[in-house]
Amino acid sequence: MSHTAFLERGDDRSFVCDWVVVGSGAGGATAAEYLSRHGEKVVLVEAGAWRDPEHYPTTAYGAMRDLLEDWGAQITRGRAFWPIVQARTVGGTTVVNSAIAVRTPDDIYALWRAEHGIGGELFEAAMKRFQDQLDDELKVEVGPPESRGRNNELAYAAGEATGIEHHYMRRYVKDCEGSGQCMQGCKSGHKQSLNTNFVPAVLERGGEVLSNAPVKRVFFKGNHAIGVTGRFRHPGLGTKGGRFTVRARRGVIVAASATHSPALLQRSRVRLPALGHYFRSHPGTGVFGLFDEPVDMNRGNTQGWASIQHRTAKHAYKLETLAIPPEMVITRIKGGGTKFMERVADYRHLTMWVLGLRAQATTGTVRNGLFDKPVVSYTLCREDLAAFRSGLAEIARLQFAAGAKAVMPGVHGLPYMIGPDEIHRIEEAPLDPRYYIAILSHLFGGCVMGADPRTSVCDLRGRVHGHEGLYIADASMIPTVLGVNPQHTVMSLSRWVAANLVEG
Amino acid sequence: MPGALDADFDTFWEKFRREAPVPFKAGVYAGAFVYTVTPVITVGVPLPSFALPRRLRDKHADRVVQHDLYLVRQAVFLLKIAGGFAWGADPRVREKLDLPPYAGDPGGWRTK
Repeated sequence: MSHTAFLERGDDRSFVCDWVVVGSGAGGATAAEYLSRHGEKVVLVEAGAWRDPEHYPTTAYGAMRDLLEDWGAQITRGRAFWPIVQARTVGGTTVVNSAIAVRTPDDIYALWRAEHGIGGELFEAAMKRFQDQLDDELKVEVGPPESRGRNNELAYAAGEATGIEHHYMRRYVKDCEGSGQCMQGCKSGHKQSLNTNFVPAVLERGGEVLSNAPVKRVFFKGNHAIGVTGRFRHPGLGTKGGRFTVRARRGVIVAASATHSPALLQRSRVRLPALGHYFRSHPGTGVFGLFDEPVDMNRGNTQGWASIQHRTAKHAYKLETLAIPPEMVITRIKGGGTKFMERVADYRHLTMWVLGLRAQATTGTVRNGLFDKPVVSYTLCREDLAAFRSGLAEIARLQFAAGAKAVMPGVHGLPYMIGPDEIHRIEEAPLDPRYYIAILSHLFGGCVMGADPRTSVCDLRGRVHGHEGLYIADASMIPTVLGVNPQHTVMSLSRWVAANLVEG
Repeated sequence: MPGALDADFDTFWEKFRREAPVPFKAGVYAGAFVYTVTPVITVGVPLPSFALPRRLRDKHADRVVQHDLYLVRQAVFLLKIAGGFAWGADPRVREKLDLPPYAGDPGGWRTK
């Protein structure tokens, strides 16, 4: 077992294995763990550093510096600049997310079958079986009541008062303490991020892990992918180190995320018409509620409550709670100067509830840019913006149902605070993405699966069309938005790809 | 509530300049430039922001982050983020918000 974190310039090294897996997030770590469990020799290659809970930062600044891709400053190109939030560390985004576990809805399987010609009973049964297994292996549970915190309890009260479908979330967290630090990495080690379980399991079974090792390209013999190559990059200094080359006897599995997987294939000269297309997401934004009593959103589960009442509606979105630290709260509070500081003083009395839009009508593109940075073009269309606006209004209604005395919609041109009689102002806000502050955190597509090579990059088993030994096993293969948190779907899909490789 | 100037911004700024990637730093510098030169469009005074009297500077700070020109408010938004990192992590601010002081960012990683 071996982990190589960095090699100095000139110290070039080659590795040989059965499978090389690019990316150690939800997709890559799951595939690598499954293959190594079945006796395959795996080398897992990750662009970021391997940080254990004792290395995790505590501040938002530290989280951006140590855990996020480009310090969280990766943005969409389009009518508005919306940040794309992805981690760059061993374990990928599972290190910085809230570890929400939601099973793939049945309507998604039906949609994939009807619109993309993929799926079937065998596939669905396998996905459900894998999700059962992952529930067990990653200790999925609803957090204990004492860990919830007021932000989540008030949301639950709102759900009860309005009668919508709602629930406390199931998460990959064992005995959550409610420290509100999911986004900086769980220092208590209760969150089951994959750097703490699946990645070490690969090492224990004789595999190897290369960290701080961004892959430059996949290389081929004819049309057969036989390995990857790149140069180590020092995680502190940013300097380039020695070259690494990983030769894979059986194949290359690309699981570098919905932005990096298509970019990697493009610079590896894979030519497919759908490559980099059909990029989708769940754009997210939030509304603050102002309450008389302290809420202290940073005490309790970072995200503990959700509603999928509107997931299949005409305006489709999911609702969740989200606690963010003061450093990030101020980015959402309007204004500057003295007025702004007076508003910030309300921090302890704020709830933050968010929507994740099921943006079904909008697609974007990903292309490999300068310095191998993915360039994402994505502008939410008017139809999806109408749903976005509708979701904001629904959050405002829920905040008032829970007893908020005012809400802060965070929409440009609207007052800082509005009362219950003014929710219509959110519903009448302009259908222009520049009026909203949003992030893209659930990303899909770019290497979508499908039956037709003209409109897809890989098939249901992750096999890249027209190539041998080249597979996709991450969110980039998902051809639609889901309307629920994607981690469970990504991991089970990755396990499905790996299982087919093992079992043939 | 302690303001941004009460936080130890100089120490933060040194660290930020040393550690931040070039595109992020460039964005913050651009934000600072936009903030400095825009009083003429926010408060109608053709002076740089640092030369404004306190009352007008306060008004400028409030208006520039909500300006109707998207690029103006987005540029200054980056400045607000950088200021927020220093302010929100300050132990005096956290105490006021009934939060424990941060334990720091060890910044290490697994080497073997």
